[in-house]
Amino acid sequence: MLRITGGKIYDPASGINGEIRTLYIEDGRFVASGEGGRTIDAAGMIVFPGGVDVHTHVAGGAINFARAMTPEDHRRTQAFIRSQTRRSGLGGMAPTTFATGYLYAGMGFTTVNEAAVPVLSARHTHEELSDIPIVDKSSLVLMANNELLLDQLDAGEYERARSILAWYIRAAGSWGIKAVNPGGVAAWKWGGNAGQLTETVDGFRHVTPGTIVASLARMCHDLNLPHPLHLHCNNLGAPGNVSTTLETLRHLEGHRAHIAHSQYHAYGGDDWDTMRSATSDLADWFNTHDNLTTDAGAVLFGDTVTITADGPWQHLLYRLTGRKWGNLDVENETGCGIVPYTYRPGHLVNAVQWAAGLELLLLIEDPWKVFLSTDHPNGGCFWRYPEILELLMCADYRQECLRQLPDRIRSRILLPEIDREYSLYDVATAMSAGPAQALGLPRKGSLAVGCDADVVIYEEDDNIRRMFSHPRYVIKSGEIVIEDGDIRETPDGREFLVQPHCDPDTETFIRPLFEDCYTMSFDNYPVEPHRIPRAEIHHRPASP
Amino acid sequence: MGGKVTCTLGEVKNRADFIVYWGGNPAECHPRHFTKYTLMQKSRWLPRGRKDRTMVLVDIRETKSAKAADIFLQVRPGCDFELLSILRAMVRDEPVDPDAVAETGIAYDVLEDLVRRMKSCRFGCMFFGMGLSMTRGKHMNSAALLTLAAELNAFTKFVAMPMRGHGNVTGADVIMRWQTGYPFGITFNRGYPRYNPGEFSTVDVLVRGDCDAAFIIGADPGATMPQPAIDHLARIPTIVLDPHVTHTSRLARVHITTAPAGIAAPGTAYRMDEIPLPLKPALKSPYPTDEEIVRRIREAVATRPFWMPEDSPQMTTEQL
Repeated sequence: MLRITGGKIYDPASGINGEIRTLYIEDGRFVASGEGGRTIDAAGMIVFPGGVDVHTHVAGGAINFARAMTPEDHRRTQAFIRSQTRRSGLGGMAPTTFATGYLYAGMGFTTVNEAAVPVLSARHTHEELSDIPIVDKSSLVLMANNELLLDQLDAGEYERARSILAWYIRAAGSWGIKAVNPGGVAAWKWGGNAGQLTETVDGFRHVTPGTIVASLARMCHDLNLPHPLHLHCNNLGAPGNVSTTLETLRHLEGHRAHIAHSQYHAYGGDDWDTMRSATSDLADWFNTHDNLTTDAGAVLFGDTVTITADGPWQHLLYRLTGRKWGNLDVENETGCGIVPYTYRPGHLVNAVQWAAGLELLLLIEDPWKVFLSTDHPNGGCFWRYPEILELLMCADYRQECLRQLPDRIRSRILLPEIDREYSLYDVATAMSAGPAQALGLPRKGSLAVGCDADVVIYEEDDNIRRMFSHPRYVIKSGEIVIEDGDIRETPDGREFLVQPHCDPDTETFIRPLFEDCYTMSFDNYPVEPHRIPRAEIHHRPASP
Repeated sequence: MGGKVTCTLGEVKNRADFIVYWGGNPAECHPRHFTKYTLMQKSRWLPRGRKDRTMVLVDIRETKSAKAADIFLQVRPGCDFELLSILRAMVRDEPVDPDAVAETGIAYDVLEDLVRRMKSCRFGCMFFGMGLSMTRGKHMNSAALLTLAAELNAFTKFVAMPMRGHGNVTGADVIMRWQTGYPFGITFNRGYPRYNPGEFSTVDVLVRGDCDAAFIIGADPGATMPQPAIDHLARIPTIVLDPHVTHTSRLARVHITTAPAGIAAPGTAYRMDEIPLPLKPALKSPYPTDEEIVRRIREAVATRPFWMPEDSPQMTTEQL
């Protein structure tokens, strides 16, 4: 039994806004009352549900490729020295697995969603995820460029394609599906791309990015997946791409979807010289449609390394910057590109990106629809989230930052005119309750009775960045993991898997197609769920 | 310069119509490479298999792999970096010094033909072996080849991949990276990982005599390392876990026989393209697995010996 008394509770999932209440925790969950055990006196403190990151890249082939490519950053970054409770590791742009757990928990986050997993290397991703301590995890499998699936869509075989999708989700041990640059990564296998939603994808007869988006969104609904289609739209990062993004949203035909890192998809202008923020167009759409959620993919100035399954975009970024370039095409399934990048305040394009991320967070009125993210590590590292919170909560600080940017920027962005400030309730929604609901994770993002006892307690502080960077207590599944700025315990987190309904004859159908294009034996391909430590498997019957 | 433009082997199987092996002898060192991945396979896009592909071999001598090649280029030993740099210049239509070309041992018009083929193929792939990465120039040679592959993407699709071997070396590299940020050459002597190949690589530590014990799992440095390193291994307490008797096990103080991974021990191995493959043992072994031995040693070290005071700070019960 653990009691937390006297704290101001912010629990948007239950509509509790700053009331002083007592929380009771037993066996890792919240309970209605109890006696004995330890009491944390949280008088004068702020109590939030543990943070949930809806979109991050912390494990698997891509981030591990990025680690290999950035030894110069490891050398200058924060080192975690081995202690009795902690293993050693490195922070920085692409933190090592143990450090990832410590850094997330140290910031009050208790659940993370790894947003891009190829099935072929899913076994690797799960091995890495199990090496990330403290936090609970889920992962999304990359599907919008899978040629076996696209072939079925090309032939108009929607139901067959849906069975294949269900089979792949089970094979990967995933929580849902992610679509990256639908059709574009498949075209990249020949050096091409897909920019127009209605144009046929290279190498196919009928299928277009638009049909891929529409079909996948429908399949997520039919398969009754807890998380809707997680969508990285076409034309990421390109000036004027807001038209593509809006067209993509129309192609969803009202189905639910989560639009990933929308900052990168909200630009106007015709080229790099005229690029401007078009976030108001996108925010209007979100404000008037209830089938959608998004995460900001906000940008912070400084060094980082960009990682995405969007291979063609990374080739362009390499040619623009002349920096290191990593590329890894995955047979039949997807691609991946890695380029180190520095966001500079004096650079007009970067300044527009910085403003656009904040604009989306501020212009989309409902914090249940837009969540905190930097698309770690693409827009900035996850351990810099408190900097974004400071920008969201203090309009004055925002204005001060704007003054550091070149004057020419003012005509291209909306941020100077926005005076909205996030309340603590908004922050708790955008950082925990909202993403937990969008992910469909059971018992997360809430302090209600029956939910997982993931709690973060902050000492009230005028310095917002300091307050959110250094919680006084972090409790994960009822265990105090951070206390007074120190890591006390490093329990292993769980992993959430979904097993949608899958027609039994799917395997017989896929086997010959698989053997034709893969180089791994079919029987070795699916990840055995028993090899995922602490897996929590959710079976889903199909939607009626 | 930096990075790596690569793909999984299935991409090569399905798409590569132009394949270069540089400084390697796959016919003898990776005997299934041609048939499983690069040359003999047919695919949707290469329906005639071998006939739809062109293979180039670049090496200092005519090995058995040359028989499989459509084009064999015999580069003068030690001139790989120069040849790669010349190719990079020619790909960009920049002028090259004829004397420099002559120095590589390959005629200009042969290179011109090679560059034309590289730029006009649909999907090119370069595999490079230790003949490139472990000879004069070492990592600079690899970097030059990887850069050439990256730059060719301005014209067509092109990738490159090292021909790795020696059991599960890729797996060790992958896991060290996720746990420490670095692939090899790591020291923990300050309590956190630091990296400096040439200083902290195993061979350098041994040659300098910096370590006072060695724990070797599934490797045989006694067969491949320079004599001063081997002498040091014989001098210090060396513990070897290996299914076989090896050069190293013969000079070790302790050799623990283990079940061979993949035959009698389960686990995961990473292929040269970093794809994880599950190992499903076919036989039972009377010997314990590497994992079990390491775990038992760890537990034994963590247990407080009877002579140690109870609150001794060195002892950890949880993690070691």
